[in-house]
Amino acid sequence: MNVSPLDSSPIEVGSELPPLTVRLTRASLVRYAGASGDFNPIHYSDHFAAKVGLPGVVAHGMLTMGTALRVVTDWVGDPAKVTSFFVRFTNPVVVPDDEDGAEVSFTARVIAVESNHVSIAIEASSGGQKALGAARAEVDLG
Amino acid sequence: MALSEAHAGRSYPPTPVYEITAAKISEFANALGDDNPAYRTEDPLAPPTLVAMVAFAAWDQMFADRELELELRRVIHADQRFSYVRPLRAGDRVTATLTIEKVRARGTTEIVSCSIEVHDQGGDVTCTAASTLVHSREAA
Repeated sequence: MNVSPLDSSPIEVGSELPPLTVRLTRASLVRYAGASGDFNPIHYSDHFAAKVGLPGVVAHGMLTMGTALRVVTDWVGDPAKVTSFFVRFTNPVVVPDDEDGAEVSFTARVIAVESNHVSIAIEASSGGQKALGAARAEVDLG
Repeated sequence: MALSEAHAGRSYPPTPVYEITAAKISEFANALGDDNPAYRTEDPLAPPTLVAMVAFAAWDQMFADRELELELRRVIHADQRFSYVRPLRAGDRVTATLTIEKVRARGTTEIVSCSIEVHDQGGDVTCTAASTLVHSREAA
């Protein structure tokens, strides 16, 4: 039987990982743009976002994706145990230019366990909409 | 000739060598709000999605390929997969090589599946980043 890396509860199909909620503000987007080198103006310019038909400045999909994986790496502890990670970008996370920004909530549960290999489904939502679809991470606890 | 199904199989030369540094790892982890200690040791691992940063240079090569007539502002990133052989860590010197795997054209929309292999200093694959991009052309 597998045991959760950071506590002693057994890992089985249906086990929930500790959820995560983050607040993304314009400052978060600027920080991620600088760190990642993704300077697409839809992630900082209202003017440009409107021009391409977006409801507002949106978070980098890769920022939402990278944050979603924190649910898994916080749980597993060692990020080297992640063997694959997939997401579909469904709805962009609109980040208003105010103190509150946008809240994004992540939940995750185990959907398959085969020896040391654990498959995890992740849900991400913001403003009542799904931000990611079919998000799956695979980890090897061996 | 614009992007078409005939471009499946096209690949680009490896991107210039990018050296992963502890400072970049820490900056990237901070941008994710991620306080995992593995990113802040003497010999830190890179957060798994830092690979995207290496991949950008390879995507740029494809967008710069004039024959494809791709416009970045008309591209939607539909999905992303990372498959890891090993984590990147500070000191790794990596290159990214992009291959267009498949193109499906439907009217003024093209769906491109591309795959990027990230190689380390020893020539070994550390990670594959596979993406689906949807490109919409202006109606003629």
